[in-house]
Amino acid sequence: MAEHGKGPLAGIRVADFSWVWAGPFCTLQLAHLGAEVIRVESMRRVCVTRMLPPWAEDRREPNTAGYFNQYNQGKRSILLDLAKPEGAELAKRLVAISDVVVENFSAGVMERFGLGYEELKKVKPDIIMISMSGYGQTGPLRDYISYGPAQVPMAGFSTLTGYRHWDRPMHLGLSYGDPNAGLHAAFAILVALWHRYHTGEGQYIDMSQWESTIALVGDALLGQQMNGRQPPRLGNRDPIMSPHGFFRCKPAEPGTLPEGLLPEDRWISIACRTNEEWQALCQVMGRPELARDPRFATLEARKANEDLLERIVEEWTITQDPWEATRKLQEAGVAAFPPLCNKELAEDPHLNARGYFVEKEHPVVGVRKHGGIPWRMSDTPCEVWRAAPVMGQDNEYVFRHLLGLSQEEIERLRQAQVIY
Amino acid sequence: MGPLSSLRVIECGHLVAAAYAAKLLADMGAEVIKVEEPQGDLSRACGPFPGDEPHPEKSGLYLYLNCNKKGITLDLTHPRGQELLKQLVARADVLIHNYPPPQMAPRGLDYASLSQVNPRLVMASISPFGQEGPYRDYKAYDLNVMAAGGWAWINGWPGHPHEPPLRAYGYQTEYQAGATAAMVVMAALLARLRTGRGQHIDVSGQEVVASMLEMTYVFWPYMRMVAVRWGERPIHPVDFFQCKDGGWIFVLCVEEHQWQSFVELMGNPEWAKWEVFSNRLLRAQNYDALRPLLEQEVRKWTVDELYRAANERKIPFAPASTMGDLLRSDHLRARGFFVTIVHPMAGRYEYAGAPYKFSRTPWELRSPAPTLGQHNSEVLQGLLGLSEAEMESLRQQGVIS
Repeated sequence: MAEHGKGPLAGIRVADFSWVWAGPFCTLQLAHLGAEVIRVESMRRVCVTRMLPPWAEDRREPNTAGYFNQYNQGKRSILLDLAKPEGAELAKRLVAISDVVVENFSAGVMERFGLGYEELKKVKPDIIMISMSGYGQTGPLRDYISYGPAQVPMAGFSTLTGYRHWDRPMHLGLSYGDPNAGLHAAFAILVALWHRYHTGEGQYIDMSQWESTIALVGDALLGQQMNGRQPPRLGNRDPIMSPHGFFRCKPAEPGTLPEGLLPEDRWISIACRTNEEWQALCQVMGRPELARDPRFATLEARKANEDLLERIVEEWTITQDPWEATRKLQEAGVAAFPPLCNKELAEDPHLNARGYFVEKEHPVVGVRKHGGIPWRMSDTPCEVWRAAPVMGQDNEYVFRHLLGLSQEEIERLRQAQVIY
Repeated sequence: MGPLSSLRVIECGHLVAAAYAAKLLADMGAEVIKVEEPQGDLSRACGPFPGDEPHPEKSGLYLYLNCNKKGITLDLTHPRGQELLKQLVARADVLIHNYPPPQMAPRGLDYASLSQVNPRLVMASISPFGQEGPYRDYKAYDLNVMAAGGWAWINGWPGHPHEPPLRAYGYQTEYQAGATAAMVVMAALLARLRTGRGQHIDVSGQEVVASMLEMTYVFWPYMRMVAVRWGERPIHPVDFFQCKDGGWIFVLCVEEHQWQSFVELMGNPEWAKWEVFSNRLLRAQNYDALRPLLEQEVRKWTVDELYRAANERKIPFAPASTMGDLLRSDHLRARGFFVTIVHPMAGRYEYAGAPYKFSRTPWELRSPAPTLGQHNSEVLQGLLGLSEAEMESLRQQGVIS
């Protein structure tokens, strides 16, 4: 059996009761950092990410789900029925030998299983537990349920983000509140581990996904108070840069794009902050006279004439291949890059040269090119030690090896459908 | 006193990534010394500003990101500035910066030499493309990183193939790279308890974004499908609707039981029984017909009425909050989310508060963001022992402002 145990958190064990995306994104970070993460999965309540597309070659079953397999790499899985008293008891025994408990159910669910912090503290006095529900554990809306996509509008992103000519709320293309909450939760857990090291004390952390998402728009909250209105939707523009946006490029040649893409859906992002960057852009566009044009000479002037400026830039980009234009602009010191689709990400030479992707053998789907760890550490290198688990893959390891149950006990618990 | 009060952190760079990473540490008690170039952090120019009048001490972005920090100025491109940075690093646990690789050496930001001064130093370098690889020297701002990480491509509204990829509000790729850096710094500090050694951390903004694309990335390795921002949603309703008070609500029925509850809430209209709307896939296929019917229904309610009625039935609708809505929220108020801070020049405002509540070791906002160079003498004289004459000389050379 491959071994985990590298990385800065080697020796830390996490009892992971989380599901869907926010909680598993948190424990993914801990697994990446070398902690032993044991996901407590349920047959009654199979993780949502196992039940959503994409499935490998569209074989629709829980162990082939790419969504689950991406965000649960390097974790272990046990299958346990927490609604049965013996199941909850086994979960407690796991907590007793763990350092951290993570859960993201709605408020009150863990208490109903008999697994609230007060109970868990009895079996492991210095346990660190984080609850990361949508609304937090207190307050009048604590019992409201929260789905990932809802955090984006709740935190204000939908009224702040948007095309300038569209007067309607926009989404962000992903359930942004989830990974954001996961990262903040992982940080909070490490702070609590630091505190435990120095004092011996565990603690409970109440995290509201809503609040941790509002933490990303703190400037706009101040703007509301300063001016009695919030910052306007800027589209792709920026307060301190111009030009700043996505500009349409030359349509792709027929037959050169993967299925599903439109030939004219080709873009490049370009951002100029300094006058030097703007002047370099003018040179690359073959319009040196614009570099001296007072209508665009300063940021203030470019902002004042931004509609015209954007038309001028696009007159050039529409004649350009996005990659060729990126190369020319970067050589001239202008920030530019095409928006990558998922296929282009997988094939990106830079990400591949950095060894970002992870290709580990999975028992059911084999080797898939998964996204990996977005940081490097020089002294305690991190790695994904194995692919995501199939359901209950580590029953034997956890129940026999860690908890010391006999084969007969395990068999009896299987018969009683406490363990699956 | 927060749990990190024994730690000293040096922060340098511009805009959000390093500042947010250091803010997360500062708010848990770390002493953060923010090193600005004599012209100031670029976030001082971003706003929002009172009356829309730019002022370097009144920028909302700067004020928000830099509470709890001491602020000094140092020209790191000047040899004297680099020397003082080394002296600070010798007395610090952590250095976090977001100068991209081509700008590091000219500022003395080199792990090999800084770790000689302090072998216990944890140094985090946040950059668009990381410290190694073919694009390491490419220039990129938040917009370009959103593009390179695969987020921009999928952000836009379904059904509109002619709109460009869309940026998220603010500098979101920098927030995520910053939160990642803060987390990895904490992990390195925990490892240091065991090894006694510091280390260098390389955080790539492109990789941070690529690692949070929900299920869209894996459509390629699992089904050889390319995800597009203008593709229609596979299930419905998942959309914004305007209510009778002019506000907008996010109508979200992912599960069939949520749709059934919503139908009841609407008073079981006749059309809800039509075969074409009988499951979430069919509702998506026939969404052009469904949307106008829902518009009529939703317009009978105010946002608040529908939000509450839906959630009482376990339907996870959510308002499209404005900043004013958030400041008025009874729930956020009851949890004590907002914190009032008085800044000597910008004035008194309520700030977004703790993203998490610790039972033993509280998060807290202790002081407002520093004015430019506010703690120059406290840090350079108090901590490093410079004389008044040396300070004057630094001022004359433009090393500090």
